[in-house]
Amino acid sequence: MGSSTKKKKEKQKDFQKAKLKVGKARPKPENFTDTSFKSKSITLNQQSLTLSAPSSTSQFTHHLSLLTSRSDTQRRDSLSHLTTALSSRPTNSPPPQPTSVILPPLLPLLLDSSSSVRTQLLKLLRALPATDIQDHVAQILPYIRAGMTHLAPDVRLSAIDALSWLLSTAGPDVVACAGGWIKTLNCFLSVLGWHTAESAKWSANRASFGKAGAKGGGVVVRVLTVLAEFLHAGIAPQEDPTADADVDGYGEAGGPWVFPLVQPAANMVPVGTATPYLYLNLFGQPRDEEGEMYETREDRFRVFREKFMPAVERGLEGARQEGGETGRASVGVSKVLKVAVDYSC
Amino acid sequence: MVKRKLGALEKVEADLPNLQHKIRRDPKSYIEDFRAQHYQYESHREIFMAAPTSATDTGIISLRELIDFISHVADCYPEITKDFPQQLMDILTQHHLVLERELREKIVGSLVLLRKKELVDSATLLQTLFPILITTPSKTLRALIFQKILMDLRTANVKTINHKLNRVMQTVLFNLVTSDRTSSKGLWAIKLVRELWKRQIWTDAKTVEVMKEACLSENEKVVVGGVRFFLGGDKEREEAEDESSDDEAIDIGQVKHQVGINKKTRKKAKSIEKARAAVKRKERKKNQPHPLNFSALHLLHDPQGFAESLFARHLQTAKSKLNLEQKLLVLQLVTRLVGLHKLHIIHLYSYFQKYLTPRQPSVTSFLASLAQATHDLVPPDVLEPLIMKIANEFVSEASASEVATAGLNAIREVCVRQPLAMNDTLLQDLVMYRKSKDKGVMMAARGLLSLFREVGPEMLKRRDRGKDASMGLRSGEKREKRFGEQETGGIEGIELLEQWKEEERKKRRAEKGLPSDAEDDEEEDEEDNWDAWNVEDDEDSDDSGGWIEVESDVEIELSDSEDEKEKDSSRPSKKAKQDGTATDEKSESKDDSKPESKFSTLATTRILTPADLAKLQELRTNAAVDALVPGNKSRKQNSNAARHVDDPLTAEEIEGLNALSAGKATREERIARAKEFKTDREDHKSVTAKRKERKESQGKSTTNKEKQRRKNLFMTLGKAKGKNKRSLVETRNVLRAHQDRQKRGGRRGNIGM
Repeated sequence: MGSSTKKKKEKQKDFQKAKLKVGKARPKPENFTDTSFKSKSITLNQQSLTLSAPSSTSQFTHHLSLLTSRSDTQRRDSLSHLTTALSSRPTNSPPPQPTSVILPPLLPLLLDSSSSVRTQLLKLLRALPATDIQDHVAQILPYIRAGMTHLAPDVRLSAIDALSWLLSTAGPDVVACAGGWIKTLNCFLSVLGWHTAESAKWSANRASFGKAGAKGGGVVVRVLTVLAEFLHAGIAPQEDPTADADVDGYGEAGGPWVFPLVQPAANMVPVGTATPYLYLNLFGQPRDEEGEMYETREDRFRVFREKFMPAVERGLEGARQEGGETGRASVGVSKVLKVAVDYSC
Repeated sequence: MVKRKLGALEKVEADLPNLQHKIRRDPKSYIEDFRAQHYQYESHREIFMAAPTSATDTGIISLRELIDFISHVADCYPEITKDFPQQLMDILTQHHLVLERELREKIVGSLVLLRKKELVDSATLLQTLFPILITTPSKTLRALIFQKILMDLRTANVKTINHKLNRVMQTVLFNLVTSDRTSSKGLWAIKLVRELWKRQIWTDAKTVEVMKEACLSENEKVVVGGVRFFLGGDKEREEAEDESSDDEAIDIGQVKHQVGINKKTRKKAKSIEKARAAVKRKERKKNQPHPLNFSALHLLHDPQGFAESLFARHLQTAKSKLNLEQKLLVLQLVTRLVGLHKLHIIHLYSYFQKYLTPRQPSVTSFLASLAQATHDLVPPDVLEPLIMKIANEFVSEASASEVATAGLNAIREVCVRQPLAMNDTLLQDLVMYRKSKDKGVMMAARGLLSLFREVGPEMLKRRDRGKDASMGLRSGEKREKRFGEQETGGIEGIELLEQWKEEERKKRRAEKGLPSDAEDDEEEDEEDNWDAWNVEDDEDSDDSGGWIEVESDVEIELSDSEDEKEKDSSRPSKKAKQDGTATDEKSESKDDSKPESKFSTLATTRILTPADLAKLQELRTNAAVDALVPGNKSRKQNSNAARHVDDPLTAEEIEGLNALSAGKATREERIARAKEFKTDREDHKSVTAKRKERKESQGKSTTNKEKQRRKNLFMTLGKAKGKNKRSLVETRNVLRAHQDRQKRGGRRGNIGM
């Protein structure tokens, strides 16, 4: 019997937990192997020996490629580097890379999860030459719309900011490009929650999914402001008929058009756009009603009145009744709307 | 500043699965959020479609997640998502080559999910997926799509057969096979059809038509696929059915018992319900009539044309690209068709001529095919040279025993089907091989001998004929069958029934002490029999006046009259007043006495009652079982004749018993063969051991005795130690108490209750 209890105890030992004590090193396991070593010197095998610093253009390209980096600090830093590179260049000199190269890696960052990256991105976008942006509006807008309906409220807010920037740089293009009018308006309604009658009511479930807590009120104000800008760009009466008249009256040579030509500009290849035949949609997907281009103010207003007018008016009424900052912002939108309606009636 | 209190909804992390969960519970409240996500999806789709090849990782991931999300909740907002399925299909059909793998699979999965939610109909889904299945170079995608298509077709046919969908799909497959005969794309059609055939979802002629077209394709893979389907598809189907009926044997008693013991939860209660439902379903299935499943070979529309074109296209021409193995498969199919449908392809037999040499690779398969291609309507003079050639090439003293065995077996198999192809000199030569020292050859020759004792004893030498055959010859019962002569058909096993009836009658007569061959009361009990089954048919009462007019049921009346008539003719003893029938009776009894009239008159003279039919079925199965019992020699020889028409003849059967040839097998082989026949050691256990095993397998508990025996020694040690130190008085008390306990039957006692 004695031997059996001994054996039992021995066996038990394997399964007993080693006790840990404060202030004492952890006991080493049985199979511990010492792998530390000592060395007199450390040699680096490879070392960069170039004496000249990389050129600013190559640095610019390098930082462009770093925009897809995993760490958000890296992305932010690259963005700030690009921003300084763009803003510090002498006026009227072209950017180190053409805008068509710079934009594609930038755009996905509109949906970036880190807010510092997005603010930095906005700075960079502002630093881009405005004239180049006009040709890329159709490319930028889907990202902005994706941002406007993003789950995270912060992303929505910064997308609204980006839209505001885009409107200020290329307003007419934003509302006239393919899908720019209806789809963007839809996004606005969705952000504001104005789609249906019951969701527009002030008593409706405002604490909707994933709303920002403290900044909630601020968001609505900002959205309303940008909506006003957007509507202004889209359906406000054009203020520069004189400029058009100029084109009407005089040819490029400066001389007036001779008699039989009436409004020749309508028959000419439009100036001031890089893709004059885009509306023909020769190579793209077939478009539906939502994705269609609405190039003239009348078109846009017609669509707006058919589809969005009731929802927007209802929403504005709700916002006005809410009062405060929201109410004030809604008044701005109402004004734009009123002017547009008056003009077209 | 005081921390603001967060609402429950704001606290949670805003992610798609969470939103999905919330939408599921309350779709109405979250419509705005869903709309936002739908716009989000639209924008991502737009971004993606603008440049499908250069999409970024994050873009793809978010698109994938959005697709997943929307397809999961699409049924809640049909109005918003009405274009969604079409968009997915467009993405898949246009860009499946460049799509990222996971996104591609997600789209396929989402489409199937939408199908489950019935937002897409099966036909559209299949018409989207099928072209991709055929064109995509990705193996994983193909596997996925194939599985999904199969699943969809299965679910579409679960409740009722979805004829419309099946027809559409079958047409698609048919067109696929027929449109381009050189391409290997038809393989997908074959794979699909075979799988559906196996699961008994498609069992109609149109399916077979697809496979028929596949057989006539020009791509060898497709051809082989189609041929294999005809050769093995039905067997596969049967096996699959057996398997499915075997599994899930639920013992409801055990389940109930376990529920009684274990903790009672709702889950357990549900499990018992489920088990009960399963058992019920199984019962219902058992009671259902067996579905009529024609084999693929029977469903062919034009077997003659099919066999001819198969033969001409793949075997006869020199241009055929098939290798020998594939050719053999085709040949097997052609010959099976010929044998089964009794077709005539005269070129086929001369085609065999070339291949019937022992040096030909896999010659046994050729021999088997030849035998398969033989039926009783093949002209004997076509077969005669072939048999001659087999005999010359294979069967000689000089040839190896396997070769001779194979040759003899092949000749026998041919002669089973067409005995006229044999002439007597050759037969007598071949029969002489039964004296061979080699066992395989000897057995094969004996087989041939016993065959001809049955079908053509006059061709044998007198001393080889055997007792039965010579007696049969003398009485004229055994005649040679003429070419094309057909046996008159009857009801299988009717003679067994007749025999049984006779015996029963004799028994009853014996009980009553009457001479056994009088036959008057038989009718009565037969009528009782009928009465038990249908009430309207009371024939006895026509004299007594209890006549019931049943005019509406013409069939019954008809049977009545027939019954009467035949009774008049065959058994006039009751109604002896009709004089004219007496002569009939005589002649008939004479007929009965003739040994030659094997054909039973039972079926023509009376209507079989359902009881009779049940008995007939029983007798038939009994006979079949008897035939399988070893030692019943006379029956065993007929096993070839009893082989089902649908069964193929294989090369193994031609090779026959040449495994028995001495000296060929090594020791290991012999041991292995001996082991094959050895019964399992398990069968020789003691009764107690078996009983114990059964008990354990049923999960029953042990007896007290067993528990005592199995008790751990260490548990008893302490008590044993103490026992040594007991005083005499203590020991006495203990013993007394033990005795008392035994009387009472244990501590708690066995009395009362």
